[in-house]
Amino acid sequence: MSHILGLKCRECKREYPISPIHVCEFCFGPLEVVYQYEKIRKDLTRQKIEGRPKSMWRYRELLPIDHEPTIGVNVGFTPLIKAEGLAKALGVKELYLKNDAVNYPTLSFKDRVVSVALSKAKEFGFRTVACASTGNLANSVAALASAGGLESFVFVPFDLEQGKILGTLIYGANLIGIRGSYDEVNRLCSEIAENYGWAFVNINIRPFYAEGSKTFGFEIAEQLGWKVPQHVIVPMAGGSLITKIWKGFKEFETIGLIKEVNTKIHGAQASGCNPIVAAFKEGQEWIKPQKPQTIAKSLAIGNPADGFYALKTIRDSGGSAEDVSDSEIIEGMKLLARTEGIFTETAGGVTVSVTKKLIDQGAIPRGESILICVTGNGLKTQEAIQDRVGRPVIIDAKLSDFQKIIPSRERENVIQIQAAV
Amino acid sequence: MEVRVRIPTPLKKLAGEQDIVQAKGKTVGEVLQWLTETYPGLQERLRDERGEVRRFINIYVNDEDIRFIQNLETPLKEGDQISIIPAIAGGAFSKRRVTLTFPPNLIKEPVIYNIGHRFKVVTNIRGANVSENMGWVTLEIDGEEEEYSKALSYLKEIGVKVEPVERNVIE
Repeated sequence: MSHILGLKCRECKREYPISPIHVCEFCFGPLEVVYQYEKIRKDLTRQKIEGRPKSMWRYRELLPIDHEPTIGVNVGFTPLIKAEGLAKALGVKELYLKNDAVNYPTLSFKDRVVSVALSKAKEFGFRTVACASTGNLANSVAALASAGGLESFVFVPFDLEQGKILGTLIYGANLIGIRGSYDEVNRLCSEIAENYGWAFVNINIRPFYAEGSKTFGFEIAEQLGWKVPQHVIVPMAGGSLITKIWKGFKEFETIGLIKEVNTKIHGAQASGCNPIVAAFKEGQEWIKPQKPQTIAKSLAIGNPADGFYALKTIRDSGGSAEDVSDSEIIEGMKLLARTEGIFTETAGGVTVSVTKKLIDQGAIPRGESILICVTGNGLKTQEAIQDRVGRPVIIDAKLSDFQKIIPSRERENVIQIQAAV
Repeated sequence: MEVRVRIPTPLKKLAGEQDIVQAKGKTVGEVLQWLTETYPGLQERLRDERGEVRRFINIYVNDEDIRFIQNLETPLKEGDQISIIPAIAGGAFSKRRVTLTFPPNLIKEPVIYNIGHRFKVVTNIRGANVSENMGWVTLEIDGEEEEYSKALSYLKEIGVKVEPVERNVIE
């Protein structure tokens, strides 16, 4: 049962039927899926959602597929955590984390968008899927394509982190490393998409793919008890996630699942690749492309496809944007791990440190509710913390050697259980 | 100023089926004005209702995005090339660049003139070092895929070494 009307150009508003296209023929603007909100308002209630399995698909009616999802049925509904330790460290009252570092199956939020993209690709009849990626998308497409019986081609910058390369090859994907930046990989993929007629999840299937990110926002609202936080901080690469989290909140408001949305959405980038933040700070509308130089490789997109819309989301919501240095990124990763036991990848370090910066600057008041988006797992970017987390202490198997480094202490008072007589 | 305007494939039919149009203007704005007056079908494709150049159309003067120069006020020199490029997948495009190394017997031959003459390609020299008995030239070659391939085959046939040049999208 489809709740979609069709595709519409975000710029000139021309309408198109549902098909694997992503660019307006008339003005070259990006296409977006349009829904029948009045119909969805009647069909999708809190009760109905709460009765469904705990996955991103509980919000089915707001996702662009016609039939039941075929790929990624178990994706999403990741933990939303009240972060008491981190809140204390940052000097704020109410702090939450939405933890996609443990998303199923490939430990990043990309599983959401890929699940939608591949389910839709199957509906269109594609048998081969592909993507251009900075890493997390590669893992996700490879895994979900294999699980769904599709062949996959994955294009990455050749110098990507080992963890992400191995984490793609294991699923049997065809992995092609390009001697160039992500932006060049993406451009090449446009040409291949045109030539080979494959379903490129972030190119010709992009309008459907992008919708999956809304579920990150839907889950936040549901898990907070059908309300939204006052501040949400989101990392920005291509700029799609931040716009869709906002769209997700606004859709829930439109169909009456939550009351008025007053959330301020803040964007986070690395100083070594901050085209969107720079445009925000300079009061510009258009994005100046950059050549990325940062350890946050998953955010290293110098020419973000949704940069303009990300800027608009930040401004429309009254939020702000900041960037942090590579060393601040590492500190952010360590802070999160040490206060909350969550090991996030470099993008997560960016978001935590930008949050700290915005709080210290006063852009985020200490008494308001704050949510940090954790989008990927640290095991994928271990190289980044090489030599930054200390070393193990090595000793011989002798008690005396241990006592040399940790002198004897008074025994702790623990409860002694008396053995039953 | 006499300048060349490169028309993107999807808009060719609105510019009299031309890839490249000879135009006149002192600034980018003047050339665009002339272009849309001469080919009225291009007006609504290039500009929105407010008359602004559409957000997802990028305009370059000799490879530089006009937004980094002076936008529509960007001044032009004789022989400049303006490129109109739809901003799909990031926005920049790659021109075809090759480095040609000439064997001694071809140093004195007008090879580059010849390929522009025999095939429908436009060449632009980006760098060169030519002496009495050795020479290399880095050339930008513009034109339809088929003509470009024919030009390269011809060069290889006559003994010129042809190597593609790696190029960053953002320089």
